[in-house]
Amino acid sequence: MNALNRQIDNLGLWLVWLIIAVTLVFLIAPIVVSILMSFDARSYLGRFPPTEFSFHWYERFFSDTYYLNGLKTSLIIAVIAAAVSTFAGVSAAIVLDRYDFPGKQAIETVFLSPLVIPAVVVGFALLLFFALIGVFQGYPRLLAGHIIITFPYTVRTTLAGLTGIRRNLTEAAMTLGANEWQAFWDVTFPLARTGMIAGAVFAFAFSMDDVAVSLFLTSPDTYTLPVAMVSMMRTNFDLTIAAASVILMLFTIVLIVVLDWIIGLERVIGGGVYRS
Amino acid sequence: MAVVELKNVTKRFGGFTAVEDVTFSLGKGDILSLLGPSGCGKTTTLRMIAGFENPSEGDVLISGESMLGKRPYERNVGLLFQDYALFPHMTVQQNIAYGLKRRKFDRGALDDRVGEMLGLVKLEGLADRRPSQLSGGQQQRVALARALATSPEVVLLDEPLSALDAKLRQELRIELKQILSAVDATTIIVTHDQEEAMSLGDSLIVMNEGRIVQEGSPTDIYKNPTSRFVAEFIGRSNWFSGKLGKDGDDDLVEFSISKDISFLIHRPDHDAGAYDVCIRPERIRTEDRQDLQQISEYCNHLQGVVRDVAHLGADIHTLVELANGEMLTICQPYTGQSLRQHGERVGLAFRPSDCIVISSTT
Repeated sequence: MNALNRQIDNLGLWLVWLIIAVTLVFLIAPIVVSILMSFDARSYLGRFPPTEFSFHWYERFFSDTYYLNGLKTSLIIAVIAAAVSTFAGVSAAIVLDRYDFPGKQAIETVFLSPLVIPAVVVGFALLLFFALIGVFQGYPRLLAGHIIITFPYTVRTTLAGLTGIRRNLTEAAMTLGANEWQAFWDVTFPLARTGMIAGAVFAFAFSMDDVAVSLFLTSPDTYTLPVAMVSMMRTNFDLTIAAASVILMLFTIVLIVVLDWIIGLERVIGGGVYRS
Repeated sequence: MAVVELKNVTKRFGGFTAVEDVTFSLGKGDILSLLGPSGCGKTTTLRMIAGFENPSEGDVLISGESMLGKRPYERNVGLLFQDYALFPHMTVQQNIAYGLKRRKFDRGALDDRVGEMLGLVKLEGLADRRPSQLSGGQQQRVALARALATSPEVVLLDEPLSALDAKLRQELRIELKQILSAVDATTIIVTHDQEEAMSLGDSLIVMNEGRIVQEGSPTDIYKNPTSRFVAEFIGRSNWFSGKLGKDGDDDLVEFSISKDISFLIHRPDHDAGAYDVCIRPERIRTEDRQDLQQISEYCNHLQGVVRDVAHLGADIHTLVELANGEMLTICQPYTGQSLRQHGERVGLAFRPSDCIVISSTT
């Protein structure tokens, strides 16, 4: 009986390891393949692995104004959307954390709803809405869409950072002569900073990466890099797209590495999101 | 002049009255313990003095000045939080200096003051540590130094020893007292722990359901509780309910707790009809039965059977069952005597003056 139980336990353990291994393979292998293919020296879409390496797909990327325009738009939108969304998210989180008021639960649910509403629905709804109020330019539409889809992340990570801070730290600061504003900057902000930065990183990364919402909101001359990649994939599919993906990835990686260097990745990603 | 004065302070939260008509005052250097069970209003009282809550009625005065409507940073009150509330992202030095910085001490005076406070709490070598690198006792000292650094007019301590283990408690209690008297701090201690309240406070206020139920010195309250609540809350007690019988010598009167069991008590001042009598466990002596009659000063004698004996180190707790089935706890210092045996018949002796008589209606 015991021996059987132990075998079932062992089997379960093996299964868990197998699942982890399979996940890792499917997570990492495609990325490795596309990175390697982006350096392929052949001028056509050849078989994997590449026989020779070169940068010519990258040269093509950087000489193609269609891609460059997309990259520029993506960066501008991502930076502004992350900044606005972080500011709004932090403000909302502080109010939600600090004060109790009727309807608080409902407001929290609304704030986090873009997490559960399919991005396609958000994009389509925004398209209709902007048409209704007569906004047809790409930038304001894209910005609004990106702020909306990234806002839940900045609220969530800031809230997670704030819940670890006990109210009595603020009270201690106040008995020591700090007013509410000073107590916030001296105590709450430094302690919740990692959560806020984590929110900003997520906001930037999700904005850079979004296709579903952006597809609905682009205009002929204002489109993001992922949207450019999708449309190129339909018209002339070549490995420039692989190079574009690597460049897209690079921006997020560089951002994370820089933050890791400044305050420690563990605290940015882990501490901010999984606590609470 | 009183340093702290509460005048008929009442605090309501919606329909709930947390504090009702509380009045007391403290002079310079006084140490007062506010004692009561959780929810008795003691913490709300503390928060009103610190400025986190405003009284619904009445007034809080510090050094004669009304504090109504003043924010915490507009008063000079030092608060030692129960869980210390040290700023985790600051060093010990920065924690202690925080209040000085906010209260605009100049740079040179600030460093001197921090050094002085570190010396006071004996943490000179730890200025650059983070709170997380300190033991519980050390954290408490930092919190105390931080609260005292700005020379507050009033120091409030919220359950100052409750987070520490028993051994450390003892040590820190003595130290805390020394530090408070060294800086001549006017102090209010809020606690539900009677030992903490009695050992730290020169005077004691017992609160229940938002009201002050008794105030006095710790010894006075222990000896003469005016209500069953206070007697039960402070110290252990054996309770008897019964009726007054025939008069004895002087002002003594018989108190019968059942048909066959009675003893003498001092006649209560006012006639309340029904009474409860409380006898502290340490005021009862156990005697071998044949010795009983010889000890004349203990004129009350009862008999019982030992049901449990627990040796707790310095004390021995003996549980004795009386003939009517009531149980009594007796607490005696251990001085090398042999312990009573389970099932042994013993005599119990106590004086009428050891019987605290409380009207049953209170």
